[in-house]
Amino acid sequence: MKIYSLKGRKLVIISKIIIIIFWIIVSRIVDNEVIFPTIKSTISSLIDIIRGPYFFNVIRYSLIRTLVGFTISLILAILIGVLASVFKVILYIMLPIVNFLSSVPTMAIIILALIWLDNEVVPLFVGFIMVFPILYESVLKGIENVDKNIIEMAELYKVDRIHVIKDIYIPNILYSLNSVFSSTLGLNLKMVIAGEALSQPNYGIGSSLQLEKTYLNTPAVFAWIIIILLISKFLEGLLNRLDNILHINRWKG
Amino acid sequence: MAYKVEGIIKYYGDLKVLDKVTIDFEPNKTTCILGPSGCGKTTLLNIIAGLIPMDLGQIVGFDDERISYVFQEDRLIKWKNVKENLEFVLKGNVDKNQIEIIIDKYLKLVSLEEYKYYYPKDLSGGMKQRVSILRAFLYPSSVLLMDEPFKSLDVKSKSLVIEFFKELRSVENKTCILVTHNIEEALELGDKIVILTQKPTRVRKVVDKNIMAARELIESYFKMMP
Repeated sequence: MKIYSLKGRKLVIISKIIIIIFWIIVSRIVDNEVIFPTIKSTISSLIDIIRGPYFFNVIRYSLIRTLVGFTISLILAILIGVLASVFKVILYIMLPIVNFLSSVPTMAIIILALIWLDNEVVPLFVGFIMVFPILYESVLKGIENVDKNIIEMAELYKVDRIHVIKDIYIPNILYSLNSVFSSTLGLNLKMVIAGEALSQPNYGIGSSLQLEKTYLNTPAVFAWIIIILLISKFLEGLLNRLDNILHINRWKG
Repeated sequence: MAYKVEGIIKYYGDLKVLDKVTIDFEPNKTTCILGPSGCGKTTLLNIIAGLIPMDLGQIVGFDDERISYVFQEDRLIKWKNVKENLEFVLKGNVDKNQIEIIIDKYLKLVSLEEYKYYYPKDLSGGMKQRVSILRAFLYPSSVLLMDEPFKSLDVKSKSLVIEFFKELRSVENKTCILVTHNIEEALELGDKIVILTQKPTRVRKVVDKNIMAARELIESYFKMMP
């Protein structure tokens, strides 16, 4: 995603080293595995978790929830966004809904979701209510930012509406979405895990975190955080691939 | 086919922009519409193109024609390369199998083959405007409207792009209407020059090609004399 200069990259490495040193020092001072585990116990917990019988199921379920939830949010955002920019009625109907979703505290909605929905669905829903408004807004912005001059050109040259949509509107929407893609996908992962911690589905990173917390197994909580960081990295890499498929970097001046 | 606008009147609110403008356009010739800035030249062109309505008057010949248009800006699609940009206006307007052949033919004609897969961001301003002019010429139209197409170019690339336009015009028959406020451009490119007044705009004078040719002849005579 971002290209750092050599000097920048050095600073990033230094920052990472400082964090690790800080971790070592704090865990020495605290000297209590439950409150602040050492690197050694975290790593051994990490190995235990990975060797455990449910590891792949846990990861798989959380990833599926994240990706399915994100795909649903994305499809709905594009669909409703396009409809809203064609029919003003839909735009005005969506306005209070989006305002509601982005101003009411997420926790309140999560609590309602826990009451109303199935345990398996809650994490998906929690991700959706956070991510959908952002995606929807950027679809609207993408359509709004279409260059009117280009549309006029297409009209003068009597280009079919289908081609105008396919070649002008959709690339604009994708371009606009592209700028929020990695942040919203990361956010979605975080929200799904939070939802899992609360709703406790059978398999899930959030459920595992909650379980380890109950046992006061803090090294395992740290280990899961490391796993989540790695998954985030993986998702980011996936998006980079998508960028290359869409060829966005080739024409972006 | 005769092209004509007759008694065009256009108001913007209370402001009278065009006041009974009547112009004959000779088929397959270039008519330059020359007028001061802000006199409603672009308005006239947009009325001819059918982009905006007029309040009174008649347009003859343009209605059922395909029209090409070159704008002040290049208006290329930035996520499409040269080939795809050209393809965009041909899709649905010419036979699908012909598109690539037409594009290759024209790119070769104007020696731009090597730029076929360039994106607009990698082209200079003059080069982008050339692609925009090429787009207008390979589009299957008989009328070409140009709205100050050389205005935003620097002096050096301007003369190159003008040569480029002349070259295409000589191989491809189109009735060209060029709007400009630059006298040199009008003299160089127009077969006929229509001079407009300030607002409310009327036709002040029409200078015909024959008179131009006569002037050139006289001038060249004077140059030959010691």
